Amino acid sequence: MKKNILISPIILFFLILLVFFYLLITDRNPSELPSMLINKKVPAFEAKLLLENKTFISPGEFENETTLVNFFATWCKPCRDEHPYLKKLSDERGLKIIGINYKDDSKRAVKWLEKLGNPYSSVLLDSNARLGIDWGVYGLPETFIVNSNGVIKYRLVGPITKKNYNAFVLKVKEVEK
Amino acid sequence: MQRILLAIVVCLMMSQIITLNCNSVEPDEFLQNPKKELRARNISKNVRCLVCQNQSIDESSAHLAKDLRILIRRKIIQGNSDEEIYSFLTERYGDFILLKPPFKIGTLLLWVLPFVFLAVGIFVIFLYNNKSKKLDYNK
Repeated sequence: MKKNILISPIILFFLILLVFFYLLITDRNPSELPSMLINKKVPAFEAKLLLENKTFISPGEFENETTLVNFFATWCKPCRDEHPYLKKLSDERGLKIIGINYKDDSKRAVKWLEKLGNPYSSVLLDSNARLGIDWGVYGLPETFIVNSNGVIKYRLVGPITKKNYNAFVLKVKEVEK
Repeated sequence: MQRILLAIVVCLMMSQIITLNCNSVEPDEFLQNPKKELRARNISKNVRCLVCQNQSIDESSAHLAKDLRILIRRKIIQGNSDEEIYSFLTERYGDFILLKPPFKIGTLLLWVLPFVFLAVGIFVIFLYNNKSKKLDYNK
């Protein structure tokens, strides 16, 4: 009985150590937050477009096909790194991508799209971050996968990169099913 | 002597080593109505800045914090209640945006477990105490 009592704290200590070690070595980002919008309808909003003199009205534009919603800005370096992969998704997979230009200078955004190519079917203006707040955005870039019923199925915080591109395409395929 | 002390305190305050009111709220954000401004400040103190995560939006100078502070003030002017503003925020960012987690089924363990541990601790101490007393008697 006495032996048990002496040994149990040591065992407990090593168990806790194991848990911490597991959390340390697994590939996770503790500052990444789950989105509250998963399995919910896209927010209803109206927004001006960057390249055309029209108004974009949600959720009407999200029906019929799987759509990506990508928040980006020219001041965001990872967005630039991500851009070729968005281009690839739109060119090779024919995905509809809606870009939301978050707190940015419109002239710069137009130049950026001229220079790097435009993967977006439409580019929405969000100069005062109201759309960003509606979508629960807290860091750029963020990409949402919206299914053909206008329901948000997945959010990626951070850029699409060489490393996660294939995994991201798999997510898109899952949503397309 | 008092004068020297006063001078030191003023210097420290000017160099912001001592600040009476530590916050990042910028003058252009203030509301005209002091009551409404106070409400906005109180709400801001309970809302987490999701960029810095351990600061409230009242303390943070991140862009998102500023946007949220302005949004909260706009909602107050529009006549929204504090509860409406909190639920607006949690619908978009989750309970994590509140610095104090709400008491509900999902967070029950978080709130109750410390008391369970306390009870277990008291029980164990009580048990040991009894045992050692018995041992003493046997001697």
